[in-house]
Amino acid sequence: MKESLAPGESPPPARGSADVLGTNSEIGRKLKQYYDELVSSDVPDRFTQLLSELEAAETAQKKG
Amino acid sequence: MAVAPEFKSELLAAIPSLRAFAVSLTQNSDRADDLVQETLVKAWDKHHSFQMGTNLKAWLFTILRNEFYSQMRKRGREVQDSEGVMTERLAVHPSQHGKLDLADFRAALELLPEDQREAIILIGASGFSYEEAAVICDCAVGTIKSRVSRARTRLQDILQISGEEDYGPDAIATQVLGSNAA
Repeated sequence: MKESLAPGESPPPARGSADVLGTNSEIGRKLKQYYDELVSSDVPDRFTQLLSELEAAETAQKKG
Repeated sequence: MAVAPEFKSELLAAIPSLRAFAVSLTQNSDRADDLVQETLVKAWDKHHSFQMGTNLKAWLFTILRNEFYSQMRKRGREVQDSEGVMTERLAVHPSQHGKLDLADFRAALELLPEDQREAIILIGASGFSYEEAAVICDCAVGTIKSRVSRARTRLQDILQISGEEDYGPDAIATQVLGSNAA
């Protein structure tokens, strides 16, 4: 993930998950497996369609 | 102010993560997709309040989470109370090898209170830092830390895993030896 730091701000500490949910932990591994499965499932068309509609509505408004 | 084309493409790119977070919160894929839809519409309407270059994913997760809790309040909290009763009913028995089935894990995750579930998902799966998760959940960093820790302990209890040293017999042997030595 891209993160921009404000001037003078120190870099964020190591990712929080490392201490209690590291890859050595069964819970940590399962959690990632569970989530990755969800992330990789197919995105229904309704969402791309929705964004196109929102965009079209906005364009129409600008012209109108 | 017009919606920048990059904003739209970044929204599109964020959909898989939003859906994953929504399913984790609602434990229901239909409700999750409604939540994502609502989030996208809100994000579009509020696009002027988002600063390009900052963390869009965190911003979207915040909107989605707020929407989830406001829907829950409207519904008068029909979601089952997951403490106690369900834990007893659930028979999660990890196999002899100590390997967890993903279905068992999913069932165990469902038993967590929402605040603990969202915390452990944000930190352990979505890749947010404690600081980011605290902003998303509108609470202190320490609160997130304690929720994650309670969630983890609870999952270990439900799934009968004893932390990193998942060797039951050794743990018992240690106790026995300990009492003998006394």
